[in-house]
Amino acid sequence: MRVSLATSVLAVSAAAPASAFAVDYLSFEQAAKLMFPDAETFEVHDVALSAVQLQQLDAQGIKARSAHWSVRTAKRGASTLGFVVFDEVIGKVELISYAVGIGLDGNVRQIEILAYRESHGFEVRLPAWRRQFVGKGAGAAIKVGEDIANISGATLSCTHVTDGVRRIVAVIAAARRGGALA
Amino acid sequence: MNTQSRGGFARRARPLLGTIVDIGVRAGSANATPIDAAFAEIDALQRCLSRFDPASDIARFNALPAGASLAPGTATLEVLRAAQTLSVATASLFDISCGTGPDGWACRDGRLHKLHARTRLDLGGIGKGYAVDRAVQRMIDHGATAGWVNAGGDLRVFGDIELPVSVRDESNGGARPFADLTDGAFATSHHGGAHVSVAAPLCLWADALTKVVALSGDASHPLLARHGALAWLH
Repeated sequence: MRVSLATSVLAVSAAAPASAFAVDYLSFEQAAKLMFPDAETFEVHDVALSAVQLQQLDAQGIKARSAHWSVRTAKRGASTLGFVVFDEVIGKVELISYAVGIGLDGNVRQIEILAYRESHGFEVRLPAWRRQFVGKGAGAAIKVGEDIANISGATLSCTHVTDGVRRIVAVIAAARRGGALA
Repeated sequence: MNTQSRGGFARRARPLLGTIVDIGVRAGSANATPIDAAFAEIDALQRCLSRFDPASDIARFNALPAGASLAPGTATLEVLRAAQTLSVATASLFDISCGTGPDGWACRDGRLHKLHARTRLDLGGIGKGYAVDRAVQRMIDHGATAGWVNAGGDLRVFGDIELPVSVRDESNGGARPFADLTDGAFATSHHGGAHVSVAAPLCLWADALTKVVALSGDASHPLLARHGALAWLH
C-alpha cells in the first residue's frame, strides 16, 4: 500500500476548494447493447400513459412523474427481447443518469449508471448547470477529461435510483397492459 | 512505477450495496469479463449480507427468537468473525448490533447464535469493505492486471496504478483532492461535522476502522497499526 497525500490536505484541507465531480460511464446505446447483446435493433416507442393509467400507478404508490416515456424495444427479427428505459434522478448534490433493462417477464434485467455528476448542492438544482449535460448520453466518451479520480464519502446513496427503477418497472407494466408495447 | 494513472480504463457503475459501485479495469489487459464478474460477486454478497434482503443470513438472524441459531454462508461467517474481533478489541465500541446488544450474538462451530431476542445485526459498517475486497479478488482471478472497485467511498485499487482519491464534502457537496493511492484501500466516514478517512491494505479494515476512529476520536488508535492502516481526521 502506498498513499501520497494531496498538498492541500497537508495544509488546511477545509480551505481547499471543493470542485465538481463527474464521470461518464456508458452511452445509452452502449448500455442497451450490454443488456440485450442478442438484439439486432432497438425500436423507439413513445409511451403516453392515460389519466386512468396514471391513477392506477398512483394507487400503487408510484408517482409516474410524467405521462410520456420513451422506451426502446430490443428486437431480434420480429421477436421482442425486452425493454430499455433511460432516466435521470437528482439528489442533494448529485445528478445521476441511468438505464434500466426489463425482460419480457417484467422483471429488471440490469441497471447501468450512465453518468454521475456531483457539485455543490445549489448548483445541481440550477437548470443551467443541468443543461450542460443534456444530450451527453449518445456516443459520449467514457471519461470526462480522461480523469479517473475516485470519490470517497459517507452519504452517497442510491435511494433515488432505486425509486426511479421501481417507477420504470411500473410504467412499463402499465404500458404493456394497455397494449402500448408489443 | 506509476503508469496509466489517467485514461486507458474501462469503467462501469451500478447501484448496489445501497450506493453506487464504480468499477474500473485497465483496458486491453482483459475484456469486460472482470467487471461483470466483480458486479456478480457483489450482487451475490449483498444477498447474504444485507439486512434489507429478507432471505439474507442477517435478515434471517434478525427474525430468529432468542436461543435459536442458523448456519450462515462462509462469506457471512468471515465478516462476522472480523466484526467479533473488532468488537472485543474496542470494548464493543465497534458494534454491528448498533446498540441492540453487542453480547446478543455469537459465532460458534460455524453457526450464528442469537442470545437475546432484541438483538438485530447490521453489517453496514464492515460489509461494503468486505464486498470490495472480494470483488477485487474476482477481477484478479479473471485476468485484470490493474483497476479498482469503489462502493460509494469504500474503495480499493490494485495493480501498478496510482489512483487519485477525492473526499466528498458532506456539508456542501463537491469533492476535494485527498491522496493518490496505490495497491491499497481507502474509506471515509462523516461524523459530527468531521471526516474520518482510513487507508489500509484491505477494504474490510479501511471500512471498519473509520468507525473505530470516529467513535474513539483517536486517529492513532492501536488497532490501526495492527491492520497496517493510517487514519486522518479532517
